[in-house]
Amino acid sequence: MTKKKLLVDPKSLKFLTAVSSIEYSKPTLKMGALIASVFDASHGVVYVGERASGFHGSSVNMTRQNLDNWNIIHPGLEVLEWALEEIKKMSPENQDLAKIKFNPDHVHEEDGRVRVILPNDKGSRIELILREGELVDQLRREIQLEDYNLAIIGGSQNKRHLAHSIIQYIPCSIFVLQKFNPRKHYKLLLLVDDSAATRKSVEYGALIAKKLGWPVRTLTVSKTKRFGEGYQGAADLTKAYFQSKDIEVEQFFLTGDPVRTFVEFAGDNHFIIMGASTLNPVKQLLFGSKPIKTLEQTDVPILIVR
Amino acid sequence: MFITADMIFWVQQKRWLLIALAVGAVLYWFIPHPESLGQDAYHILIIILMTLILILKEPIPLPAIALQLIFWQVIIGGSTANEVGSYFMNDAVFFIMGSLMLAVAIVSQGLDKRLALGIIRITGNKTWRIVTGFTAISALLSSFMGPHMVTAMMLPVALTLIRFTNKSRKSIRGLTASLLFAIAYGAMFGSIGTPSGGGRNVIMMNYWAEFGSGSLSYIEWIKLVYPMVLLEIPLAAFIILKTFPPELPVLDTAVRRLSAEVARSGKTTLKQMATLLLFGGVLLGWAFLSENYGLGSIALIGVFLFVAFGLVSWEELSKGTNWGVILLFGATISIGVQMKNTGGAAWLADGSVNLLKGLIPNIDALRAVVSVALSGVLSNLLSGSATVAVVGPVVLNLGGDPILLGLASVISSAFGYFTTVAAPACTIIYSSGLVKAPDFLRAGWKMAVMSTLSLALVGLVWWPLFR
Repeated sequence: MTKKKLLVDPKSLKFLTAVSSIEYSKPTLKMGALIASVFDASHGVVYVGERASGFHGSSVNMTRQNLDNWNIIHPGLEVLEWALEEIKKMSPENQDLAKIKFNPDHVHEEDGRVRVILPNDKGSRIELILREGELVDQLRREIQLEDYNLAIIGGSQNKRHLAHSIIQYIPCSIFVLQKFNPRKHYKLLLLVDDSAATRKSVEYGALIAKKLGWPVRTLTVSKTKRFGEGYQGAADLTKAYFQSKDIEVEQFFLTGDPVRTFVEFAGDNHFIIMGASTLNPVKQLLFGSKPIKTLEQTDVPILIVR
Repeated sequence: MFITADMIFWVQQKRWLLIALAVGAVLYWFIPHPESLGQDAYHILIIILMTLILILKEPIPLPAIALQLIFWQVIIGGSTANEVGSYFMNDAVFFIMGSLMLAVAIVSQGLDKRLALGIIRITGNKTWRIVTGFTAISALLSSFMGPHMVTAMMLPVALTLIRFTNKSRKSIRGLTASLLFAIAYGAMFGSIGTPSGGGRNVIMMNYWAEFGSGSLSYIEWIKLVYPMVLLEIPLAAFIILKTFPPELPVLDTAVRRLSAEVARSGKTTLKQMATLLLFGGVLLGWAFLSENYGLGSIALIGVFLFVAFGLVSWEELSKGTNWGVILLFGATISIGVQMKNTGGAAWLADGSVNLLKGLIPNIDALRAVVSVALSGVLSNLLSGSATVAVVGPVVLNLGGDPILLGLASVISSAFGYFTTVAAPACTIIYSSGLVKAPDFLRAGWKMAVMSTLSLALVGLVWWPLFR
């Protein structure tokens, strides 16, 4: 694995954080900004608001234009302004970032979204985007438009019934920060099996562990008492990969129902990283998948690598 | 078979379109029409059912819903394209188009700052007086101008007052909600006051004329309905203040800062004077000339003059006007007329009466209940105008006095207090992000009870004096 070309190219990563409100999105935004900065990735922040019904859309637009005359800005722009200030606070030493000024009049409507123009921006690689509509649909559109590698979504937005849609339809890796507590000491829990997505999730896990210095555990779960060659080989390769990066790793092999075992092992102090399902979409829709069920059942942050 | 996640996502997003088509297909091909209902009428009712599903869930944009209404009438509804087209444009659609354009023209003039100053001068700085003042002004203006225009002009005033209190949002949630609901609910119940208060009023007037049910002049409408608006103003203000008690009894600083802000915008401009003059002319035209020329034509004269005098550009009007809604109302009215012509409306009316006559033996009370309940419930799910467009032909076939039943239907279609989608005023205040969907339920049920009782009072005590 170490000699192969990396699947995760840290030099061209683009991350997207979805924020919903000043009240609830602070942990999500902080983690999104932290992850983006440690990976040196471009960082998009998107606010997805509700779209008015077709009957009243023009009345709402007319009111918003009138509100502009009173210097009252769109609630979504208010959240994006707050997001920019929070990101600035996190990197006080970044002079380029400090020079950026938010101006609600400097927006550009394009491709069904509103992009905030940041006039003094010199290479901060920050994008502020306002969208309106259904959350998963709008995130999909944004991710497809800008080719993001990772979407970071807060737990408040991840109601259980949304888990299925988020995992099945978001076309990139997904980081769901449910019940994320920035003050808590998490351990990385990497779920290893013989699926194709494991290799990429191992690379993500190694990058995160290296940058954040979090302890790493790998967990391989077999439904039977026997661990086949595929599982054993994947676990060995994972260990070798981490060792090549000078990262200590604890390995665990357990038997039982995979999802229940993941959830019980993760408890409330792990940060799960797992590969996306390779099941065909119809089977996922009808029967679910390990990532979908894990996300539904666990309350810890989870990164699903696609 | 190769099915991608994209395909499944499309199906998931469009599931209500597929459900509507499936319901239509099953009813059309597999379920025969009842003996008491003609085939064309049955097909028209199928189209209406599919359309209601589409309007309710909006899996496709509104203009596309309008388009399917038109072509289904031609394909399965037994109408020719020319017949559908002939009902498509009428005075009600002209009025809706004209009033949407007038709203764009007037709101862009900055008259709201004058309005703010006027309100504050009347109400002073006590919070309960400001909330009552907002309710009254919204209701009175909305009765002539329409709720969308009034809410668009009043919302900045309220939000500026809230901002000038210099308090955190959390600490003044009651004040915020009371001001915003005063505007929205005031604009909603006010919009029944005159025919020009809303598209639904004109749609009903159009149905009366189309179905030969009689007519009401602008002034006669005001005589019958305006007392209800006046009765509701203090009651609504009371409900709003009790449901969302404001945290601050006096808004001294906020009022002073608002006055200073408005004063900075300078004196009334020539354009603003011309706007007031023109709109005043339109109002007088509606009041005294609409019997001869129709409300829609007069609204269009007003739009013409706004453009001709350079008060608004055609580009602004075109960009700010919701052409999809105009298309949809044209299509909805055309199917409403087909529902009447094919006998579908009468079948639904008879069915409703027969279903409920065991519960309410008095036939007049039964007709009133059917009219009010049907309109009140549907208006919380669709919009008030769409409700009247669909329900109107049924109500006018219930028997009894079509004018009074039509009025009851129009009035109760303004009872969409429970949801954020029912009326433009509700959607607009919800889009501010400062009130939540459950707030509409908290205050909405009280408003609905109060409005229903007010309607009953006016209907039983006031209307018999005139009819």
